[in-house]
Amino acid sequence: MDSSELERFEAVILPHLDSAYTLARYLTRNGQDAEDVVQEASLRAFRHFTGFRGVAGREARAWFLAIVRNAAYSMRKRQKTDELATEFDEELHSGAGADDQPGAALDRESARQSLRRALNRLGPEYREVIVLRELQELSYKEISDVTGVPVGTVMSRLSRARRRLAAALVGEGGALT
Amino acid sequence: MTHEELERQLDVYVDGELAPDEADAVAAHLGACDPCARLHAARITLRGAIQEELPGLRAPEPLRRRVQTALREAARLPTRSAPAGGWRWLALAASLAAVGFGGWFLGQRRGTEEGLTGQVLASHVRSLMPGHLTDVLSSDQHTVKPWFNGRLDFSPPVYDFAGRGFPLIGGRLDYLGGRPVAALVYGRREHVINLFVWPATANPVEGTASTTRQGYHLFRWTASGYTYVLASDLNVSELTDFQHLLEQGETAVGAPR
Repeated sequence: MDSSELERFEAVILPHLDSAYTLARYLTRNGQDAEDVVQEASLRAFRHFTGFRGVAGREARAWFLAIVRNAAYSMRKRQKTDELATEFDEELHSGAGADDQPGAALDRESARQSLRRALNRLGPEYREVIVLRELQELSYKEISDVTGVPVGTVMSRLSRARRRLAAALVGEGGALT
Repeated sequence: MTHEELERQLDVYVDGELAPDEADAVAAHLGACDPCARLHAARITLRGAIQEELPGLRAPEPLRRRVQTALREAARLPTRSAPAGGWRWLALAASLAAVGFGGWFLGQRRGTEEGLTGQVLASHVRSLMPGHLTDVLSSDQHTVKPWFNGRLDFSPPVYDFAGRGFPLIGGRLDYLGGRPVAALVYGRREHVINLFVWPATANPVEGTASTTRQGYHLFRWTASGYTYVLASDLNVSELTDFQHLLEQGETAVGAPR
């Protein structure tokens, strides 16, 4: 692997580092794990990059995200056997909305917490379709490529995840009822 | 359009992934039905809330630097050190990459000795891999059927049996026995059914031939001038029900547009 290959990788794949980190963060629910996942995935992607001439843009992002997802699931499997998994991550909650009115800020915070709690309670297979669709705006086909499940399954998982998120918000009396 | 149909299509509609004529039908229903309109509004609200409250994140600067350093290191070193997860991980990553870019070599088994059965099986298995199931994604037979115009030299019969528990998922072009064929995709719970259709040859075989390979059931029969082949991991009894629906579809239910 020479330096031109590295340059190509940096130009094609590294622009998607934020997307990769977002997916890893929501899948692992932990900042440090997410960073480890992204670094591992980047190296793996680099090793397999040589054959992919002419791949760019959204296709490159989907390919990279598939590897990130795989790395996150591998880590989860390792942690499960070690029973080291941290279920909730308080750090994610620290970025509260900078609202002037205390009441509005409180509402915003409770909506945010309700949603995040509901999302974190979803299984990873539901969490990932929400992140890929709503946060990263991938098409069904792209989500299918990333997650390795048929489009029909992507559709039904999205539908079920949204029903649960909506129900959780209503059930917890969040600001969105 | 019934509420049930709408609920099934609402998320696809909200995501802008319905075929235009289906989207029009949903929009028309939403305009005329308050409960469904409220359901639709709730989905829009939820989407807004998710995008507002759960933002995309930025990769932290230290991570960015770490990745770049690690890449430089990897580019300099010709030897590939074994990853922490061992060779399995590497194999998995490699296969993932291959799937993503269509380089899966299951097709190599499609030798002549395998015959049509092997080809159907390979095609079914390949269709289950990410991104290979459908070329046209629609539960509307009036969308799927015209899609084949200009792509095939025949117009395959297409029916949606959603009302009987076998919803049409979509269609795609496939290639079997040296000719392009229509592949129609149906769902049954979590199972996928591939139905391959092409014009029958002059001397069709009577009755239904069936076989089971690698856990997949294959049915083949000829009716009304077409040869049909079903492939699925669904159980034989429900596949037989589905075959009967297909046969009725041509006579009892009425001809497709």
